[in-house]
Amino acid sequence: MRNPDVVVIGGGIIGSCCAYYLAKEGLKVTLIEKGSVCTEASKSCQGHLFLWELPAINIKLAKASKKLYKELSEELDIDIELRNTGSKSIIEKPEDIETLKQTLNELREAGVECELIDAKEFIKNEPNVSRDIAGGAYFPADGQLNPLLATIAISEAAYKLGAKIKTYTEVTGIELSDNGSKVEAVETTKGKIKTRYIVNAAGAWSGKIGEMAGINIPVVPRKGNLIVVENIAEDFLTCKIIIASDYLDSLKGDKKVAVAANVQQTREGNLLLGSSREFADFNKEVNPEVISEIAKRCIRFFPVLAGLHTIRSWAGLRPYSPDMLPIISDSPIEGFYIASGHEGVGITMGPITGRLITQIITKQKTDLPVEQLSVNRFTKES
Amino acid sequence: MSDKKPRTYEGKSDIKVENPDMIICRCEEITLKEIMQAISEGARSVNEVKRKTRAGMGLCQGRSCGRLVRKLIAEHTSRKLGNIKPGTFRPPVRPLSLSALASLETDNDEKS
Repeated sequence: MRNPDVVVIGGGIIGSCCAYYLAKEGLKVTLIEKGSVCTEASKSCQGHLFLWELPAINIKLAKASKKLYKELSEELDIDIELRNTGSKSIIEKPEDIETLKQTLNELREAGVECELIDAKEFIKNEPNVSRDIAGGAYFPADGQLNPLLATIAISEAAYKLGAKIKTYTEVTGIELSDNGSKVEAVETTKGKIKTRYIVNAAGAWSGKIGEMAGINIPVVPRKGNLIVVENIAEDFLTCKIIIASDYLDSLKGDKKVAVAANVQQTREGNLLLGSSREFADFNKEVNPEVISEIAKRCIRFFPVLAGLHTIRSWAGLRPYSPDMLPIISDSPIEGFYIASGHEGVGITMGPITGRLITQIITKQKTDLPVEQLSVNRFTKES
Repeated sequence: MSDKKPRTYEGKSDIKVENPDMIICRCEEITLKEIMQAISEGARSVNEVKRKTRAGMGLCQGRSCGRLVRKLIAEHTSRKLGNIKPGTFRPPVRPLSLSALASLETDNDEKS
């Protein structure tokens, strides 16, 4: 068996997108995944495309990625259920409307389409929303897809372009050259694979993979619990993604646990209720207190939910980087690349990440400037 | 001793599933044809079949289709039924109203 040019570690949305774009560029790719494709964060999420998370670079990445999803949804063999849903944000208290106006101005400057909605109009368009809200905002560019099918479809497309997909194979070590400057091979539970390049797309585990190569990648797991609600009338939500404005607060990494109402309806009619952000190391158990709080917050904004049933709950681990920016980067070790730290927007940013990594490895001009996304930003400070 | 086959959690292993349009997952209306396609495309576990087809994602959470899906995977990948893990079961055990979940009392509530 000939050696691959590049080994991609991680079979989530990020690793699958990297494998796809690298294979499309003509490189020989081997993707390694410790479980099966799409078993961790990519299968534990809601599948939203958010185009408004500051700073500006995140918004540029998200916009570029959404365009790529449109292309992909036509190229791929599986329907990834991509749809332009837009999203709405609810303001709970009248005194917070001014802050929202300021935030919307900042977002507009960063190129985000958004508009203020008064409470009356919000309620008119969303019959199931609580009458007790102060208003909200609308983000028409946001969207939704089926994250399971997208990850599977993209990895299968990579396979059809010649990539090897090795599942149930865990990385146990990274072999470097004698002077430690260059990657030589990836050691796995199923043998050693010699390679010129490695892409670390191991999500919440990417810090561990970094350690194996002696590189500090300060990505830690940030747990999120979700509740699935029985499928109900498709028009329960007019706009398929509605979040409470405290979602923005919950993104900040200052609390051990943060909960915000985040109600999304899938194409099948199920509701996915979130969301929570919790630092709990690699623990993936559902936290009963947290899902109870999620239910409470969601009922606050959609009182009719009280009578509906949850059929399942789960928790997954987002790859959290301390500055909430992804790492899409080369590294001090020649041949070692990083695509991680996407936190809650891994699905959103999958395709652009795959493209940028491919452009970095093949030394092409990148679609967007990537300096800000370099892993160097963490070593410089320390 | 009776020579009757004991009825285990693995279900009746001699059920013939042949009609491609037969519904395997009733909750999500997933047919044998769809399950078989997922297996032929490489799905090797109940969870992998589920992610591709939605079998087991409905109201009963795979309690009825899970066994048949395992059996189909075992048959068509020439592995023993015992080597095919059931899908992951997660809370709640039965559909639970959100109002009940929201009023869940936990140890921490008592302490605070």
